[in-house]
Amino acid sequence: MPKLRRSEWYDLARDLNWNLSYVTEEEAFPEEMSNHYGITPNERWWGWDEPYKVSYREYVHNQHGKDAAVYSVNSVVARSRMFEELDPGWKSAIIAHYGAIALPEYIAGIGESRMGRFGRAAAWRNMALFGTLDETRHGQIQTYFPYTLLDKEPRMDWAHKALHTNEWGAIAARHLFDDMFTANDAVSTAIQLTFTFETGFTNLQFLGMAADAMEVGDLDFGALISSIQTDESRHAQQGEPTVKILVENGRADLAQKLVDHMFWRSWHIFALLTGLSMDYYTPLEHRSHSFKEFMEEWIIKQFLDQFRDFGLEPSWYWDSHFVPELDWYHHALHLGVWFWRPTVWWNPDAGVSPAEREWLEEKYPGWNDTFGVYWDTIAENIRNGAEEKTLPETFPIVCNMCQIPVVTPAGYRAGKLDSPLPHLLVHEGRQYVFCSEPCKWIFEQNPARFAGHTSVVDRFLGGEIQPPTIPGALAWMGLSPEEMGQDATNYAWAHEGREAPGAAAS
Amino acid sequence: MTTRARKRPRTWSLLGDVRRKPSAYEAVTAKFHYHFRRSPAPWELDPDMPMNRWYLTHREGSPFNVDDWEGFRDPAKLTYKDYVTLQHERELYLDGLVDRFEEAGHAEGYPAGWVDTFRSLVVPLRFPMHVLQMASLYVGQMAPSSFITNCAHFQAADEMRRLQRIAYWTKVVSNAHDDAIATTEAARGPWEDDAAWQPLRETLETMLVAYDWGEAFAALNLAVKPAFDAMVNVGLRDLARRNEDEFIALACEEFDRDAARHRAWTAALVRYALERDGGLAEVLEGWRGSWGPKALAAVEGLAPLFEGAPEPLAAEEVVALARTAQEELAGAAGLG
Repeated sequence: MPKLRRSEWYDLARDLNWNLSYVTEEEAFPEEMSNHYGITPNERWWGWDEPYKVSYREYVHNQHGKDAAVYSVNSVVARSRMFEELDPGWKSAIIAHYGAIALPEYIAGIGESRMGRFGRAAAWRNMALFGTLDETRHGQIQTYFPYTLLDKEPRMDWAHKALHTNEWGAIAARHLFDDMFTANDAVSTAIQLTFTFETGFTNLQFLGMAADAMEVGDLDFGALISSIQTDESRHAQQGEPTVKILVENGRADLAQKLVDHMFWRSWHIFALLTGLSMDYYTPLEHRSHSFKEFMEEWIIKQFLDQFRDFGLEPSWYWDSHFVPELDWYHHALHLGVWFWRPTVWWNPDAGVSPAEREWLEEKYPGWNDTFGVYWDTIAENIRNGAEEKTLPETFPIVCNMCQIPVVTPAGYRAGKLDSPLPHLLVHEGRQYVFCSEPCKWIFEQNPARFAGHTSVVDRFLGGEIQPPTIPGALAWMGLSPEEMGQDATNYAWAHEGREAPGAAAS
Repeated sequence: MTTRARKRPRTWSLLGDVRRKPSAYEAVTAKFHYHFRRSPAPWELDPDMPMNRWYLTHREGSPFNVDDWEGFRDPAKLTYKDYVTLQHERELYLDGLVDRFEEAGHAEGYPAGWVDTFRSLVVPLRFPMHVLQMASLYVGQMAPSSFITNCAHFQAADEMRRLQRIAYWTKVVSNAHDDAIATTEAARGPWEDDAAWQPLRETLETMLVAYDWGEAFAALNLAVKPAFDAMVNVGLRDLARRNEDEFIALACEEFDRDAARHRAWTAALVRYALERDGGLAEVLEGWRGSWGPKALAAVEGLAPLFEGAPEPLAAEEVVALARTAQEELAGAAGLG
């Protein structure tokens, strides 16, 4: 062990800010790569101070140990029958996870790398270099694990291919992640990726799902994502010092706006991904908390503390839109995803057997009267052999911001919204459709960033998808008939608690 | 007799109908940049928003492009796991080296003249090394294939490795001789103001704004790094050895293991590109023509400092090392 403690020499390796002479600051830190938001010259950023410090040697020593541990779990599990024995709903949860998360984590390395080049202080650039390496790890490890499962589960192919396709969930993921980091400048990325998304939401996905994975007996996935989270919690700390610089320089308003923008978007994608996994796909006996309880414990409390600590306010939509959505939004999405199941790469688990409905009613009082009634009809159709009535013939409307289907009618029917209608906006002659007031607000803050983008529905109506039929659209989304989602348990839930068909006659 | 059809190796569908099962390295690297040449724009936002324009101009629009970048392979075939395993072992070696020389009181034994050379030549190196780290990250974020991106990002990390070991030893020397050595000002002062450092600073600052991805790669990896690495990893090694500083000499040798890896992927990438499009030689030679001399001018600026050591190394020898390194790399890459 070297004799000097890190604290004795580390400042020499991070106090590397200098004044440019041969090029201008605008040239070396152009606005599209690094928006200074009026805080210039760069010297005003030099006080950037990361709360958690690590040296290169510590990093490679630690990460070597972590990788060795996680890959050894994988190699043991690969030789077992553990995967085959997992619950089908849980398998759906991890197949959805890998498709939506593996490649985006890798390209989060681009966002980190951008901060590593265009961050306005050297200490920040160094932290972002570790972030770049971390995200390389997460992209590779989260494709390697599903790669080893390809023989057992061909849908694991989506861990690699989802982001290459036009599957609607993949478009929603790309739109969000490009907005958040790949197509974002360094300063905004620090606030939106690290402060907003990684500090809060990845905790939910990675620690929440890790807890469920261990319950379910999925050691592989549990070890994987809890190890990832130890990196996330380190490099997420680039957000805090960046917020501090903005606040100290009188730009709390800007930090607030960036947080408000990305918090809402993160909430929507997590409702889709984590909400369904926790409340419907995870086997009932292994659910530790409901999605709403996780949100309350991991997100709401943490963000409210953070807002207070940094002199920010809860987002303007907090009480009026966000908190109410906790009771209905992901239930409505679940209905939609299950109904439009051929359009996703995993097998949605209805998760509404009698015992599961009881749990849903307990966790979300009123669920039976609001969402259960839809499932009553669906179950009846299944039992009557009318599966075709439970499958789509048309497409839903898709939000021009989050790119997730608009489910306001279900929110309205559940008594949570005043109107079933989507929110409309005409901008430069084109009409845009939004699922919610905050999605519309995000668009209005910076129309040029979003206006020229077309949603799946815009492309369908614009004639880009040929033939303009459901099969034509499914092919356009890259889904082969074998890959299209089916009910995860072959409708077992619809028959549970009832006599099997034909049993009464014998 | 029955024949059994050989089972097709199971791999990612996007890798095509492969006869050979891809290696683990390929499985976790191939086709991760789904956004390269994506229509209508790389990022799923307004096709005309600034970052889309940036990538369309500086990546898709670069003259340094071939029909398919996915065939390139890092000669070291490094995955993240392999990279941290490799560097964990190499850092254990450096930890051991530091232990050995700290226990021997090596820095305490520096003669005053060598302390002066250390102060003027070694201490400010942290700044240019940081710029090399920044520039490698730019190449990584702009590269059209994940096979290239990973090489550049690991290279950036190696720059930090070298920089931090120098920072550490700067503190050791400072504790033994003069507190002022281990200050920001002792490095930033010469970097910003001393005449000897200005050609290097000018070269590096202007390189930072070479935003075309091909030019950024060529300026950094074909021109500046071979020259700078030769000056530090070889020139400083030789100088240290003449002045009986075996710690610095061995550390520089260790740094050159990383730099040799950087040169290997650089040469492999250029050879790969030239195989696909021989016309790119002209493009790359153009960049070498403008950045090669700037990199040598940077070394020429610093080379006199090698002559100030108690046991000097002639300035022209240092410049020759840099020039030779550029030429050898160009030769290995199929240029020049």
